[in-house]
Amino acid sequence: MKKVLSVILSLMMLTMLFVGCGKKAEETADTGAATDTGAKTEEAAATEAPAKEELAPVTLKWYLHGSNVTDDSEVLAKANEYLKEKINVTLEPIWGTWGDFDSNAVLAINGGDDVDIYFTCSWSADEYNAFARKGAWVRLDNPDNNLIEQYAPDLWKTLPTVLTQGATINGSDGYGVYAVPGYKDIATQNCWDINVPLLEKYGYTVDDIKNADYYSFGEILKKVKDGEGADFYPLLVEGNVLERMVTNSIIVTGDAGTNNLLSYYINPTDTAAEGPYGNKLLSKFETPEYKKFVEKTREYFLAGYIDPAMGNASQANDTRTAKQLTGEYLIGTQSYALGYEVQASKERGFEVAMVPCTPPYVDTTSSQGAMMAISTASKNPERAMMFLNLLNTDPYLMTLLDYGVEGVHYNMVNGEAEFTPKRDDYMPWTNGMGNVTLLPPQKGQGADFWDGFKAYYGSAGEIPVLGFAFDGSAVETEMGALANVAAEYALALNTGTVDPAEKLPEYIQKLKDNGIDKVVAEANTQVDAFIAAKSK
Amino acid sequence: MMNEITVKRRGNKRLNRVSLPVEFMFHIVLGLFCLICVIPFIFVAIISFSSESSIREIGFSFQPVQWSLEAYRYVMDLGDQLWRSYFNSFFITIVGTALSVLMCILYSYALFRKDFKYRRFFTFFAFFTMMFGGGLAPTYMVCKNILGLNDSYAALIVPMLLNPFNIIIMRTFFQSTVPNELIEAAAIDGSGEYNTLFKIIVPISKPGIATVALLNALAYWNEWFIAMLYIRDAKYFPLQYLLMKMQNQVDFLVRNSSVIGAEVTKILGTLPQESLRMALVVLIVIPIAFAYPFFQRYIISGLTIGSVKG
Amino acid sequence: MPKPIATGKVTPNGFSTKKKTLLLLTMVAPGVIWLLLLRYLPMFGIVIAFKDYKIYTKDPSLFNNIMHSKWVGLKNFEFLYKTSDSLKMIKNTIGYNALWIVLGLIISVTFAIMLNEISNKFVAKVHQTLMFFPYFLSWVVASYFVLAFLDPTRGLLVHLQQSWGMDVTNWYNDNKPWPVILTIANLWKNIGYSTILYLAAITGIDASQYEAASIDGASKWQQVRYVTIPHLKPMIIILFIMNVGKIFNADFGLFWNVPMNSGPLFPSTQVIDTYVYRALMATNNVGMSTAAGLLQNLVGFVCLMGANTLVRKVDEDSSLF
Repeated sequence: MKKVLSVILSLMMLTMLFVGCGKKAEETADTGAATDTGAKTEEAAATEAPAKEELAPVTLKWYLHGSNVTDDSEVLAKANEYLKEKINVTLEPIWGTWGDFDSNAVLAINGGDDVDIYFTCSWSADEYNAFARKGAWVRLDNPDNNLIEQYAPDLWKTLPTVLTQGATINGSDGYGVYAVPGYKDIATQNCWDINVPLLEKYGYTVDDIKNADYYSFGEILKKVKDGEGADFYPLLVEGNVLERMVTNSIIVTGDAGTNNLLSYYINPTDTAAEGPYGNKLLSKFETPEYKKFVEKTREYFLAGYIDPAMGNASQANDTRTAKQLTGEYLIGTQSYALGYEVQASKERGFEVAMVPCTPPYVDTTSSQGAMMAISTASKNPERAMMFLNLLNTDPYLMTLLDYGVEGVHYNMVNGEAEFTPKRDDYMPWTNGMGNVTLLPPQKGQGADFWDGFKAYYGSAGEIPVLGFAFDGSAVETEMGALANVAAEYALALNTGTVDPAEKLPEYIQKLKDNGIDKVVAEANTQVDAFIAAKSK
Repeated sequence: MMNEITVKRRGNKRLNRVSLPVEFMFHIVLGLFCLICVIPFIFVAIISFSSESSIREIGFSFQPVQWSLEAYRYVMDLGDQLWRSYFNSFFITIVGTALSVLMCILYSYALFRKDFKYRRFFTFFAFFTMMFGGGLAPTYMVCKNILGLNDSYAALIVPMLLNPFNIIIMRTFFQSTVPNELIEAAAIDGSGEYNTLFKIIVPISKPGIATVALLNALAYWNEWFIAMLYIRDAKYFPLQYLLMKMQNQVDFLVRNSSVIGAEVTKILGTLPQESLRMALVVLIVIPIAFAYPFFQRYIISGLTIGSVKG
Repeated sequence: MPKPIATGKVTPNGFSTKKKTLLLLTMVAPGVIWLLLLRYLPMFGIVIAFKDYKIYTKDPSLFNNIMHSKWVGLKNFEFLYKTSDSLKMIKNTIGYNALWIVLGLIISVTFAIMLNEISNKFVAKVHQTLMFFPYFLSWVVASYFVLAFLDPTRGLLVHLQQSWGMDVTNWYNDNKPWPVILTIANLWKNIGYSTILYLAAITGIDASQYEAASIDGASKWQQVRYVTIPHLKPMIIILFIMNVGKIFNADFGLFWNVPMNSGPLFPSTQVIDTYVYRALMATNNVGMSTAAGLLQNLVGFVCLMGANTLVRKVDEDSSLF
């Protein structure tokens, strides 16, 4: 058997050599091309504003997210005609859908595929901060070759400062910007989602909810539960969202996926001010706030206010969506986007009210909701930057790529875009492309929609640690183990399906056994460094 | 001999059979198990005919409040894409199965031959890849960049051509059905190796080959991951991938709902709902379930080949 | 007989051996080429398990990235054993696998023999077809089916419990029944598959052997014992050895989908594969996933080699190699 093994090993060596040689040849070719473009850049920079004819034709591959596109021929014909004239670019979009993105885009990035621009954000597998550290994205404000200054100064001025700040992070090339943030719903605001007709049926008004808080919902919940029967569960909650709403903690970007381990507590009335614990990160589950929250939640669960299905990670969301649509709830949890109550009322067929728990605020996660990064594998980062600049400042191009061709995919009626059935063949993720305020409002939003939008999101204050993302690479072993511990306990505790008197101490002990203290210490070192760098 | 048996058989109809009560018990046991196997499928079919509002109201249930053909209407709206995907699935299944069975027979026959000098080496050579692999990223890179498998039928067929597990199964089938004397006899008769394999060995190994073909056909029919990796052009989408795409999108959105926020409900609204996904399951299972008896004929017929006198 | 050749010096026997080997080599050639390209070539990726995978920004390609990433020794493996969960998940993975190998073997061999004895071939065909149905349904779909029974508020079992006046169980919150539920689910899905393999092996048996045994006065039971089982032995042993090789790998689809990712069930449902998946969702480190896969396969490989050596000592012909 030894012989066989050695033969296999030597075969592997051979194949490696083979790959190596193949790659070497390519490599030299690549460097050749790179110097070529490098020379061109210098040339272009030297002449300041390059005339269009001087730009060599370039094809840009653009990887998008959340698309539902089956026929892009008409849009691309128009867009490429336009782009050819403007910056001599031919666009080749890759219409990534929601589901295949996790593995496909990550594979493409890790494997150095020849894609120029990637969608990235704080919440999907091709995470902005992590891949910036790994070296996947070109630093756009690199002092040696500042692409933003050279090719996109207008764009940078039009973006709200919270966005540019949120995009400025620690990456492979130092503290800087690694992607162009999209201007969409950039604020976080958690709300109680109220079934108004049902609330009024029992003699309460929305004001009664506004004046109460989670800990004093008991009376209202009891009355409705008694009136509606045993099969009715008045509290319709996403456990992890509920926990954040009640304790005023936020998602720490870079934390262990959906079950956060770390907490940053904000000041619920003035989100720009320091929170009750200052600029410190805490182990989420060891605080008195958390203990109080889970005890109350357990009480509500035992009283039959919370559906047991909510503690069941894979089932919770389906159940929640179904009950929202049938109106089988009284108070729900919802992360808000402007105009959502109108949309929800229409979808569900009854009046829905949103009662905010805090003013809208911008944190790292929400400011990095949709971004476009230039890949380090791109042969033409300059041209990619020009394209992103044009996309985010030119309403014609943005509308064409996002909505489709006017008269084919949509028609303009009274200043609103009304989609045609053809739009079903061309549906990119509207908010996943760039500056949405360049688009005409959609039917039903009202012609002055963007004024309200800019006012609402413009008012959103930044929290003190905006831009901070936790880098777990020094504690990956612990993060891997802790993510599993959290998956075992967090949701069950947050929905009251298990008894906190028994499970909370067990949970905390297990977190300690798996190194939560080390993670918190590491996180706080990073926060301190971040605050210091930011205030400089 | 012949006469003896026929005589005996007249006297006792159940010659060399288990007794009636025992067979009856077999029927009960197998019948019960089959029931357990088929009920979930009926369940899926029922959901596919349930209305969305019924699913919302009472969840997945054997007795929906309201029946509906909506899911199937929606599937039919996929129109050309649906038929195209059906064609693709059939095409890759048939071509892929034919090629992979051929490769599997050749490889495993050589391994089966005790007089093959490098028998153990090549067994280990195939088996080793069952245990160790380079992982997703390197495989993806080799297929895409070195072999150029991209947006083509080859990209759907080639990555699954060989399965070491099937090679070893096939070799075992040969071991248990082909007597060594047969090969020796064939060699003495001057039959060439390929001739022996295809004229003598293959005909008597039909049950085993049919089984391996079935496993291959199922693998090709159910495949979606490879399509996800290498296919961008909807022209080549197999049916199963259409289904998994929907499933994956919904899963992803649900997983990230608390981060994406309010938009998720809106996006989920544009995606096909449960009943539609179940309808697609029905549409995927039916063709292969009907193809199954075709393979079975060979699996069962092994019995009749063996029992010439029966 | 080999045809006479011009030189005439080589003995016919020696020549035929060489020619035979050559011909047999041409038979394995297509497979060997495929295995080299699609299986051995990508194996260079295994080194990722020992590296801190970073993208080589100057010229990113998988190969360059790997070459320029730093060696980190066994750091990527740490998350597998430096956790309070490791014993639990190893115990679950091996425990379920061992139980299912044995149960699966007994049940599917029994079913295959039963199917073979059913005199009405049409009924046998129907049984066989239906048995295979679960194999078509993905675990996602199967999990909906399980949910229809176990849903905490509207499941069929919950309704039964209510109508019998029993306490309602929250199935997704109580880990004790889950070893049984998972076992049923696993058998339900996989029995049909292995039954087919065994049945095909049985039908390959020459019927004259049964007749001879019958004439010698062997009862049906004795025929099963002395004709069928010995013929099935190679298949049983091969499937057993190969299952042993997968002893450290759990069926991710089953353990992830069927328990609906419910936390309180972890004591019964956490296996290596689900642990690794969750850890990777949090860290997104390719090195760690490669490391986990490598370790699982290495352990499986050692176990398999052990099993194979054992088999070879007893019965060389039945061993894998």
